Amino acid sequence: MKNRVNYKANQTPTMKVLTDSQCLEIVLAAEEVLFRTGMEFHDPQALEILKKHGCLVDGIRVRIPPFLVERALRSCQKHVVLCNSRTGKPAMFLENNNSYFGSGSGTPFFREPYTGERIRSTNKSIGWATKVLDAMPNIDFCMSLGLVQDVPLLVSDRWEFEQQLLNTSKPIVNVVTDEWGQADCLAMAEAVAGGPEELRKHPFITLYLEPVSPGIVGTESCQKVITGAEKGIPTIFTPCIMAGATAPATIAGVLVQGIAESLSGLVLSQCAGEGAAYIMGGVYTILDMGSTIFSYGAPEKDLMLACLTDIGHYLRLPIFGTNGCTDSSMVDEQAGVEAALSITMTSLSGPNLNHDIGYCEYGTTSNLDLVVVCNEVVGMARRLTSGIPVNQKTLCLDEIENVPPKGRFKNIWEAEWDDDQDYIPKDIHANFESDLISRAAFDLWNSNGGKTLTERANERVRDIIENYEADQLSKDVKAKIRSIVENAEGKIPKA
Amino acid sequence: MANYEQLAMEVLKGKKKLVIATVNELLAAGEKPLDIINKGLIVGMSEVGVLFSQNKMFIPEVLMSAKAMEEGVNIVKPLLQVGDMQSAGTVLLATVQGDLHDIGKNLVGIMLESNGFTVINAGKDVSPEAIVTLAKEHKPDVIGMSAMLTTTMLMMKDTIELMKEEGIRDQIKVIIGGAPVSTDFSNEITADGFAPDALSAVGLCKRLLA
Ligand code: B12
Repeated sequence: MKNRVNYKANQTPTMKVLTDSQCLEIVLAAEEVLFRTGMEFHDPQALEILKKHGCLVDGIRVRIPPFLVERALRSCQKHVVLCNSRTGKPAMFLENNNSYFGSGSGTPFFREPYTGERIRSTNKSIGWATKVLDAMPNIDFCMSLGLVQDVPLLVSDRWEFEQQLLNTSKPIVNVVTDEWGQADCLAMAEAVAGGPEELRKHPFITLYLEPVSPGIVGTESCQKVITGAEKGIPTIFTPCIMAGATAPATIAGVLVQGIAESLSGLVLSQCAGEGAAYIMGGVYTILDMGSTIFSYGAPEKDLMLACLTDIGHYLRLPIFGTNGCTDSSMVDEQAGVEAALSITMTSLSGPNLNHDIGYCEYGTTSNLDLVVVCNEVVGMARRLTSGIPVNQKTLCLDEIENVPPKGRFKNIWEAEWDDDQDYIPKDIHANFESDLISRAAFDLWNSNGGKTLTERANERVRDIIENYEADQLSKDVKAKIRSIVENAEGKIPKA
Repeated sequence: MANYEQLAMEVLKGKKKLVIATVNELLAAGEKPLDIINKGLIVGMSEVGVLFSQNKMFIPEVLMSAKAMEEGVNIVKPLLQVGDMQSAGTVLLATVQGDLHDIGKNLVGIMLESNGFTVINAGKDVSPEAIVTLAKEHKPDVIGMSAMLTTTMLMMKDTIELMKEEGIRDQIKVIIGGAPVSTDFSNEITADGFAPDALSAVGLCKRLLA
């Protein structure tokens, strides 16, 4: 037996765009922005809280002293867990370098999986989408992949959330229309968890909001941060920044702008409730001038997210990433390339909660075939990032030495392995396996119908829609959430 | 001695002060006001359009160029003969009530302006009442409404209804745009047209006013 000393090993591959010194420089620049320029908070309660804790408040303009930012960074909870809605068991540990994957929300259009038509998303389409997400082993959490547009629109967020609750037990990132929608959806989540206290103990949803870049946190956004802090539910705060339009054109400038906005949200959350769990979002991308779109497929988006992730790790804040999405209107080669590259990048750099799988047409149309394809990509990426153990056993020196040139390797998979190795090479399943990816020779592939990956994915989608069922909620809980949905309309104050 | 090429370049670079100085110099040298616009200011702004679509200029720079051009036009405008320079039409733009997405609408405005339209940008989160009041005040040829949310799309319909009630719908064309908006929706709410991006919005306005 030999000893190894001062030996360094990679447990996984590593990728970093920024060093710690660079991260610190950007964070300090953001602190400067928050103090010198400040932000606007369009909500009286938020302004009061911020003032009470030492911010300089001038009308709606708030300048945040650096010590408050640094205090907030220390006080926010670093251990952030989301649970399974049926069992209450922890499903995702959104901390350290753990990566989880899920879909996106809010797409006005939906690619109908049977006809291929681009239709408006509906109650049914969201039910289907959620089933598919629930059935996919590499999808960890769900966003709705649509908007219910066949019911009164102002209360459609409750219908959307109901479809999600019915069709998945995975954690849900819940996006709502307004404060009344937020209240109703929280009540629905509490009904599923078994009351507010149970939801606090086993949170399975997050609140979601976006500031208006540059520099504005709207009324509803402020209220969500405060509600999250009060109810003990993690809040995701996502600046959607366009380099060269709502932020400087340089990537470092975008980072300063975005991090400043995110840190302002963090300060509000910690002032509203010390210790509140806060997830730093950020869809930083380019506005493509040729097409005038906010690009979901640009490599710059992936690069900026990798930078944001380095900063998140540096600050020990969970990061909400973006991947598995495309600017292409169809699931075609471009979609595959953009989705796979972005998933590879997130897998290598390690943001914790990675959304927008299934987005086509830059977040306008959702596509379930893409979800199924991305499920495979995530599987491959998980294999890519699993790392390789290098030790006496895995080096297989004995075996190699016992095989003379031209010899044959014995199947030593049967042999005994040290049990202090967390890698079990006996298990051939450690290799990526898929029944969707084709590795068949032409004749075999052709005799199997000669189908493309997208066609096979589409068959899977239909099979799930027709034959899959998620773990069901009890009748009683179903009735409770139904009644909230049915009574939603009455709660909206008339203008 | 100032020349048109230089003026165009100053517009392209968004140099407001230089544009003002050059326009004044050209006027002093006896150049025709209309030439200053057509051979200098507009040439510069057209180049802006080209560079923009090639991702070589960013929105803030485009806005600076538009501003510089406007300053130049403001100097020569009073000197033009009646009928010398015609605006392609006046467009009132607004992002509807409840909606804070304004980047797309602003881009539509820039594109219309660089194509000779006069644009009144009413901002974001604008109520049907405010749109109608502005319309009565400015008498635009076209009202362009932007909505990016399925919930705020409904405001477009409300605005058209209010225009009818107030008796101004017949005089003004209504166009709409934004991610959840479609031609079908435009027909449904009896708008006059939908365009998927800023460039086609220009074409749409030209068609409607032809
Ligand atoms: C950037 C962005 C934001 C920014 C907006 C910043 C700003 N100052 O505008 C911020 C972060 C504030 C934001 C907030 C929200 N957003 Co948003 N946002 C986007 C995003 C990613 C890009 C929009 C954009 O600016 N594109 C670039 C511009 C240049 O393109 P454009 O707007 O489409 O405009 C072009 C054309 O549409 C057309 N056009 C536009 N207007 C007009 C008008 C006329 C007359 C004509 C002819 C043409 C025309 O020409 C333009 C130029 O070519 C879209 C995604 C998407 N697919 O569009 C979501 C999106 C629109 N947002 C969405 C959502 C859900 C929200 C929020 C509700 C999220 C939340 N829960 O907080 C809030 C709502 C805030 C509010 N009350 O308005 C959803 C919409 C869902 C729905 N209900 O319909 C989208 C589709 C994303 C998604 N899939 O979830 N958002």
